[in-house]
Amino acid sequence: MRFAFTDDQRAFADGLHDLLVHEYPPARLREAWAAGRGHEPDLWRRLADMGVLSMMVPGPAGGMGGTLVDSVLLFQQLGRAGVPGPVVEHLVAAPRLAGTPWAGGVVDGSVVVTAALDVDPFVAHADVAEVIVTPSGARHGYAVSAVAGLDEGRHLAEVTGGTLEPLPGTDELADTLAVATAAFLVGLGETMIDLAGEYARQREQFGKPIGAFQAVKHLLADALLKVEFAKAPTYRAAWSLSTAQPTAGRDASMAKALAGEAAYRASRAAMQVHGAIGYTWEADLQLFMKKAWALQRAYGDARWHRRRVSAAVLATPR
Amino acid sequence: MDLTYTAEQDAFRAEARAWLEANVPAEPLPSFDTAEGFARHRQWEAKLSAARWSAVSWPEGYGGRGVDYIGWLIFEEEYFRAGAPGRVNQNGIFLLGPTIMEVGTPEQKARFLPTMASSEIVWAQAWSEPNAGSDMAAIRSTARLDGDAWVLNGQKIWASRAVWSDWCFGMFRSDPDSQRHRGLTFFLLPLDLPGVTVRPIAQLDGDTGFAEIFFDDVRIPLGSNLGEVGKGWNVAMATAGFERGVSLRSPARFSTAADRLIELWRTHADSTDDALRDAVTDAWMLAEGYRLHTYQTVTGMIEGRPIGSEASLNKIFWSEMDVRIHEIALDILGPHAERMDGPLERWVDGFLFSLAGPIYAGTNEIQRNIIADRVLQLPKGV
Ligand SMILES: Cc1cc2nc3c(=O)[nH]c(=O)nc-3n(C[C@H](O)[C@H](O)[C@H](O)COP(=O)(O)OP(=O)(O)OC[C@H]3O[C@@H](n4cnc5c(N)ncnc54)[C@H](O)[C@@H]3O)c2cc1C
Repeated sequence: MRFAFTDDQRAFADGLHDLLVHEYPPARLREAWAAGRGHEPDLWRRLADMGVLSMMVPGPAGGMGGTLVDSVLLFQQLGRAGVPGPVVEHLVAAPRLAGTPWAGGVVDGSVVVTAALDVDPFVAHADVAEVIVTPSGARHGYAVSAVAGLDEGRHLAEVTGGTLEPLPGTDELADTLAVATAAFLVGLGETMIDLAGEYARQREQFGKPIGAFQAVKHLLADALLKVEFAKAPTYRAAWSLSTAQPTAGRDASMAKALAGEAAYRASRAAMQVHGAIGYTWEADLQLFMKKAWALQRAYGDARWHRRRVSAAVLATPR
Repeated sequence: MDLTYTAEQDAFRAEARAWLEANVPAEPLPSFDTAEGFARHRQWEAKLSAARWSAVSWPEGYGGRGVDYIGWLIFEEEYFRAGAPGRVNQNGIFLLGPTIMEVGTPEQKARFLPTMASSEIVWAQAWSEPNAGSDMAAIRSTARLDGDAWVLNGQKIWASRAVWSDWCFGMFRSDPDSQRHRGLTFFLLPLDLPGVTVRPIAQLDGDTGFAEIFFDDVRIPLGSNLGEVGKGWNVAMATAGFERGVSLRSPARFSTAADRLIELWRTHADSTDDALRDAVTDAWMLAEGYRLHTYQTVTGMIEGRPIGSEASLNKIFWSEMDVRIHEIALDILGPHAERMDGPLERWVDGFLFSLAGPIYAGTNEIQRNIIADRVLQLPKGV
């Protein structure tokens, strides 16, 4: 029994964190929004070079050969930076394209893949993706009709036509996507709390920083509690999927339900602490809040995932 | 990351399970907040200790088995699974014991730990005072040097199980000119000394689960202090860390409660009521989340990443979860939850007890202050 990451896993995630802090501060994310870009080709190449995009592609296929446990901290870091584009979807879908014509391109990043589940009415990032991996296979050659989305870093579309190639190994697509998104949501939650903490240290009212007021302290402490207690279930779900545990589906759903609710709580607390500034287009907070609100309901919302946990946990014993 | 148990851990679990199955009393013992229940619980502790199960994480020399924190979690899982009695000496074994191991002199370790493990001496915690609750630095009880003795005066309150306990660990102001956190000393002393008066206080359930303790020129020998004279605050903070962190509220307690809640839901709830179903699922997720979080914390501790102010997060989490689990149980029972003598009475009792959790071991408001100040680094409040 060892519930911790290895030094290598931590170091890789720290490396990604450093890259994103330097190369992708919120100002860059804001530029992408302003330019109507839901995907960042420059950053994408950096992520490909670093091995992030192919983290879970097997070594023989040119990838890093990592498991979901190796990747879960990366999703969290990508979430911390609020990286736009199909990063979560690509990382999860790429290994499933082994043996297809796209196998090489997904490793070097020249082919962009996204993923979609049947529960979701839209496909995210279909405008930039060449292939959509779904539980029934790989869809390509489709037509895309854009749908306006809440998070401008997550372009939505209705997709019609195209060809579906059956793929092996798409069974756990939904669970893997749920866990990866849960980790991303945890990262978003951390950043929203950080932004609120920064603001609370610096904004003064009644002659003192607002962070000295207990109502503010307790709001943020409660938000932190939710986010911190969503982490272990998320990491455990990654382990359950990596090691094909019989409880993997239940664990993935638990992670997604808890992480979605935690990120939402963090968004509410952070927005309240910002006052009117938090209600503006100008404040960086919105870049992270809107992604959290989108992802909280994508790939199964908390309600759907909770029911799935219910089914596993409350089933009548034999 | 490997969330499976080693063969050695499995064997340890099997050994604990077998012993508990053979030895846990078939009928629950009377509450340890009664004279008879206290005595019966002390006998149980003696039995546990004779088989070296009372303090499994302690070194063998002091009556433990020297297992690491994972072993301790495994033992706790088995203990709660077996429905074994509450731990009457928990303030000793889980709070004071680890503190003595950290700051005690070799003589103190040899003298106090074995009798603690066996519950020959049951310990009470005498920190709170009528005017020093959350604000423990406002302690006024005094310790004055007089020749070869310390002389204690003052009043403590809310000391759990002090009515029948043998010794207490208390905080006294040993420097009369000191303010706040400075000048306090952590003392260990018997409760049957001349000048000590223990007055029981009935709790919400009617039992005298805690007490006031009056000190009237009580003389204790020099060397009765744990840690340095005047440094009691630091010693107490180490103890409080154990209390809020992992040791007092092991996840097994809540996992067992969540399992019992599911059983109650199966037998007593309208299974088409989606709100109840969701609530029970949430309770299970809370308990499971706490278990996972604890395994992660404990792995960190074993690998040299000790837990700091984050312990305050744990304290809020387990205490609110405990209330929540019981609220849901009472929702399932509906109007039957008013009844106190039925077979499901222990849910009502459990509900009453759960309400103390957000108050003792530092109120949850104080924990939120600690998180905001030390973890989130917000400016100090007023
Ligand atoms: C069942 C039980 C067992 C106990 N066992 C022991 C024991 O064995 N030994 C022992 O020494 N003590 C024990 N205690 C006492 C416990 O530690 C205190 O009750 C606790 O520290 C709070 O102190 P208080 O009751 O004086 O409440 P107060 O400090 O008066 O607090 C009252 C309310 O005000 C709030 N408050 C106070 N200060 C602040 C602040 N700065 N910011 C925000 N809110 C604040 C509190 O959160 C609380 O809601 C026990 C208590 C209970 C209920």
